[in-house]
Amino acid sequence: MSAAKKRGKGTEVLLQNLWYNNPIFIQVLGICSTLAVTNNLTNTAIMTLGVSFATAFSSLTLSGMNKLIPNKVRMIVQVLVISFYVIIIDIVLRAYLPDISRSLGPYVGLIITNCIIMGRAEGFARSNPPLLSFWDGLTSGLGYMGVLMLIAVVRELLGFGSLFGIPILTALLGDAFTPWTIMIMAPSAFFLVAMVIWASKTIQEKAKASKQAPAGGTK
Amino acid sequence: MSPAINPIILFFASIFTSNILLANFLGMCSFISISKDQKSSFGLGFAVTIVMTITMVASWVVLKLIIEPLNLDYLSFIIFIIVIAAIVQILEMVIDRVSPALYMALGIFLPLITVNCAILGAILFMQIRNYDFFQTLAFGIGSGAGWWLAIMLLASIRKRIDVAPVSAGLKGPGITIITIGFMAMAFIGFSGMLNVQ
Amino acid sequence: MKRDSMAYTVLFTFLVCVFFVFFLSLANESTKDRVASNRRLAERSAVLSAMGIPYTKDTIDTTYEKSVSTVKASTGELYRASVGGKNVYAQRFAGPGLWGTITIILAVDAPVEHLMGLQVVSHNETPGLGGRIDEPWFKTQFKDEKIGPQGIRVVQGSGKGDKDPNNSQVDAVTGASRTSQSMEALVNRGIDDFRKAKNEGVLQ
Repeated sequence: MSAAKKRGKGTEVLLQNLWYNNPIFIQVLGICSTLAVTNNLTNTAIMTLGVSFATAFSSLTLSGMNKLIPNKVRMIVQVLVISFYVIIIDIVLRAYLPDISRSLGPYVGLIITNCIIMGRAEGFARSNPPLLSFWDGLTSGLGYMGVLMLIAVVRELLGFGSLFGIPILTALLGDAFTPWTIMIMAPSAFFLVAMVIWASKTIQEKAKASKQAPAGGTK
Repeated sequence: MSPAINPIILFFASIFTSNILLANFLGMCSFISISKDQKSSFGLGFAVTIVMTITMVASWVVLKLIIEPLNLDYLSFIIFIIVIAAIVQILEMVIDRVSPALYMALGIFLPLITVNCAILGAILFMQIRNYDFFQTLAFGIGSGAGWWLAIMLLASIRKRIDVAPVSAGLKGPGITIITIGFMAMAFIGFSGMLNVQ
Repeated sequence: MKRDSMAYTVLFTFLVCVFFVFFLSLANESTKDRVASNRRLAERSAVLSAMGIPYTKDTIDTTYEKSVSTVKASTGELYRASVGGKNVYAQRFAGPGLWGTITIILAVDAPVEHLMGLQVVSHNETPGLGGRIDEPWFKTQFKDEKIGPQGIRVVQGSGKGDKDPNNSQVDAVTGASRTSQSMEALVNRGIDDFRKAKNEGVLQ
């Protein structure tokens, strides 16, 4: 019985984190740091993978340590655990992907303050078993990744004419392609996030409205 | 070697042309939630500026006296966070002792600031760019002031927007983020003013 | 020991810290060599590129060791290689940029009349603006560029790259005037150092 229940729970967590309760367009969390690197697909991919890794393993570790952590130092221990995994990411990047580590600069360290990781640690890992917390952390990271990769595609394609560093628009159009400089700069990231929020919220509202009209049932 | 930027110019640059929030995307979380209310925005902005300046200088000292001589570079993140947490904690106690009135106004924001990415972010920028003491001081005060300015502006704009007819999908965070985008664009216009990139 | 007692709290936090610092130090130590070799490869490939010596990702070390030697001058350590029958010299220069230090490898021919090439080793400039000094269109402007009496001028041009190697000038990065100025100062300081080395008879 517990295996089937967990599978149900697992899928529920997946759906929630990817769509219904997506960290970015529903919870509007964690847009701080990573937005800065979304003008480059490769950097965004690495950053969001890092966030997913850190969230998943932090949730796993904290959930496992639940019974041991004294209440007074709960927040500090959370921050310590999160910092631990982020530093591991930083060390791995510096050793195996030095160019990317350089272009990400201080933003890797900022994963520690990313509200999503703290949010999942506080909101889920505190009261759920380790494996499920791991899955919750991972799927939150994936929900996060999806949205940011989408934004990065638009920004890199229109701002640099390339995807993942491979010139596409510049190769196809040559000199006729004028890069949209606004896409390289900050404001575009804000506008694109707002559009994603708009689109997804509108879709979700419509789905809710049409579900309530005939059956008036639950989600 | 420190970059050749004059601390005064750096101060103005951190407020206008390289605003920690509008250009570097740091400190957004509490920014969006608190800017609903002008009074809280003023309080939070003030708190951020104070904390930013003090932690910046303290981190610079720790960097020069502990991290660099002992080659503890890879532990910088944790060390800086501990510095931030410690200073916020001490500040809370000091303010509570010295001026309960100030504590009423400011104290509730302090725990919020500990996880504000702007503080840690600015410190990491300082570390990477290798600022000297005066540049660090100017950067700290400037970044805090820039964040404060941004949240005050946003709160004022939100007063109008929150009662304006906005489509359902955009209401709340959506239109707020678009507003921030326009603010960011406006601030880019300052680039010519200072001849700083 | 009760979970919320002071003693347990202190002990627990202490153990957690010790545990983490231990593992992080382990991770740091085990990757130290790799990080150092990455740095070495980056520097060597920059020298090879600046000098115009072809190489592939796997042959950086072998090509470098085969072709490049070092000589000392009063201005610092120079790299020397023979390219197309003539001697080419390169040196690492670092200078203040807008947001941090810019480090480049600059290569010249023996009579310090032409720049052979330029590579950016590291910088902290604004991505998308000043950071564009690391893009191919900017760097290739310095290849075979004639050195004028005042050195090289970085001017506000089309922003697409100055194609004339004889005018002693290169296009700045559009919208990044401070970084471009820093580059100009840095390159010209390098040229001065090379001229000094030439007067000492180091550049043959």
